[in-house]
Amino acid sequence: MTDKKYFPKTLSILLSIILPGLGQVFQRKYRSGFSFFIAFSTSFAVTLWYGKPVWFIIPVVIWAWNIWDVISLPKGKSLVIPLLLWLIMAYGIGGQVTEFDLKSLITNASRSKDMVAQMFKLDFVQPRAEKMEGYVDIQSPCSDFPPAADNESDGTRVYVVQTCANVGEVITVKGEGFWPNQLTTFYWQNPIGGKGMATEATSDASGNVTLEWKVLSIVHTTAPDPTIPQIHRIKVSQSRPIGGLELSAVGGYIVQGIYETLALAFLSTIIGAIFAIPFGFLAARNLMTANPVSAIIYLLVRSALNIVRSIEALIMAIIFVIIVGLGPFPGMIALTIHTTAALGKLYSEVIEGIDPGPIEAIKATGSNWLQVARYAVIPQIIPAFTALTIYRWDINVRSSTIIGFVGGGGIGFFLWQWIVLQDFRAVGSAFVAIAVVVVILDFFSAKIRERLV
Amino acid sequence: MLKVENLTKVYPGGTVALKDLSFEVSDGEFLVIIGLSGSGKSTLLRCINRLIDPTEGKVILDGIDVTASKGAELRHIRRKIGMIFQHFNLVKRSTVLTNVLNGRLGYLNPWTTTLGIFPGEEKKRAMDALKRLGIDDKVDSRADALSGGQQQRVGIARTLMQEPTLILADEPVASLDPVLAHSIMQYLERLNKEDKVTIVCSLHYLDLIQRYATRVIGLKDGIKVFEGLPSEINREKFKEIYGEEAQDVRATALE
Repeated sequence: MTDKKYFPKTLSILLSIILPGLGQVFQRKYRSGFSFFIAFSTSFAVTLWYGKPVWFIIPVVIWAWNIWDVISLPKGKSLVIPLLLWLIMAYGIGGQVTEFDLKSLITNASRSKDMVAQMFKLDFVQPRAEKMEGYVDIQSPCSDFPPAADNESDGTRVYVVQTCANVGEVITVKGEGFWPNQLTTFYWQNPIGGKGMATEATSDASGNVTLEWKVLSIVHTTAPDPTIPQIHRIKVSQSRPIGGLELSAVGGYIVQGIYETLALAFLSTIIGAIFAIPFGFLAARNLMTANPVSAIIYLLVRSALNIVRSIEALIMAIIFVIIVGLGPFPGMIALTIHTTAALGKLYSEVIEGIDPGPIEAIKATGSNWLQVARYAVIPQIIPAFTALTIYRWDINVRSSTIIGFVGGGGIGFFLWQWIVLQDFRAVGSAFVAIAVVVVILDFFSAKIRERLV
Repeated sequence: MLKVENLTKVYPGGTVALKDLSFEVSDGEFLVIIGLSGSGKSTLLRCINRLIDPTEGKVILDGIDVTASKGAELRHIRRKIGMIFQHFNLVKRSTVLTNVLNGRLGYLNPWTTTLGIFPGEEKKRAMDALKRLGIDDKVDSRADALSGGQQQRVGIARTLMQEPTLILADEPVASLDPVLAHSIMQYLERLNKEDKVTIVCSLHYLDLIQRYATRVIGLKDGIKVFEGLPSEINREKFKEIYGEEAQDVRATALE
């Protein structure tokens, strides 16, 4: 304690005024000196960068506190107040920079109400139904000699009394041979397959249906020149439930997407695992550090694995989508590369952890290297390799969902489209499907890994 | 007849494990090597079957220079030299039968065995070896499901498959309790007496040395400091080999 007084106090105070903490250091209070220096310099730098003058009060108070501290040495002052000030600055500026606005979570919640409500109306299945369909081709607008609008197909006849249609006219569409007393849908399809109009009518007791239909200008919206006659199609269809359920259109896409995602994840895991095996051996310290050449290979492979592993599969997927185009293939390449690097690293750690005893023992029996590998190395690494690979498949299923967002195929691709189209029923259904699949996979992969390890 | 001539082993880094070591072992001997941990016992045993390559010197087994051989010739020498380890060195996840069959690999076609195919007569030989050691009931168990004594017996059965003329035993009972230690040593003694297998064994316990050894070599820092009959190991000799700290242990062991 006494030797600290050898330094003149006024000098220390002066030093602390020039540079916070320096006076404390001169008084051999290294810890508090260092703390004051760090607290002052970081808060000063942050407020300087943020540029709002009011925040400068914090480094100023810390600076003042630092002077007071050095005055009251050797006892010193508590560091709690400057620390508190520093935290207030960190939270305050940090919050303002990130536009921290908890209130909006509550006040704007109503915006999402409709969307969220839609998401809970799952759309996987619909009642099974059979269909009765017919169609007729019709010219619109009318030319001088329009072709007859009369067509028979699959036991139904559909015809238009006026044979052609101009915008604003009322045409009479008649159908024969449909189911009696049944709601019938009329659907106008323009020449490029788009939807023009749609309406409904009910068939009579003998299966005939008649519709007076006003032709709206909407049917010509896609036409380059609405005065040129073109052939449109009127589709007439009935649908009646026959009991039971079937996949809805969205449900069908979800099944297809999930299937694609699982296949994509499976394929990239298997291929990645195969590639990872040699890398795993090359990146194993215990095998590779015996001589300088292999040690260099070890370092190169290990660094390469670490670098590739640190590039998110999503980023790689974006690059490969640009190279090879949309679809499951770019996603698969991205996942395969990432899997190779990640599994290579994990495999190398397994190899580093094997017991050298059995290798010694099998060698001592006069076995060649192949037999040593087969009976001493492989039995030790196979269970861990399998467990890690299954775990990786699990991870890949989850990441391939996200990779679909950038066009990498699978359920994510559909999900992204549905989000953009604001089809929130489909989005909610896809969420549920993904969650179910991931939970099931998680469960089984955990079970299998438990058995193996 | 095993002949070790001027054997020296220097590890990378400069540790001298063995220094100019020479001795001979006649057929049918039960040679025990004693010495502190780190005195070079394990290195010596591994230099004999070339699991470790010596820096200088020769090992000659039945007239063949082991240190000069390589490839297939070395493997043919190795398959006649059994080895038993302190930590048994079984493949823990494999069955007892597979572990025992592993002892025969040096005699069998590498390609078929890599596919996991073993001839029927070899399986019978493995069963006979297990019967001889009294653990044929464990044939389908996983090796790590067995107790320490049982694992060491599987290790001996694996060695039996080699039909060895020489067995190197590296502290075979150091991981076992005294009762099991005696039972394992008795198996080795039976192999020595009944099958006329030469045994070179490293040991720590004085009572076991007195009971089983026909001759003893003492190592200290890689140098041979004693060679003679077990009965010749007196207080001074033991102190010389094991150092001052070992005195108390030695005293109780001798009395």
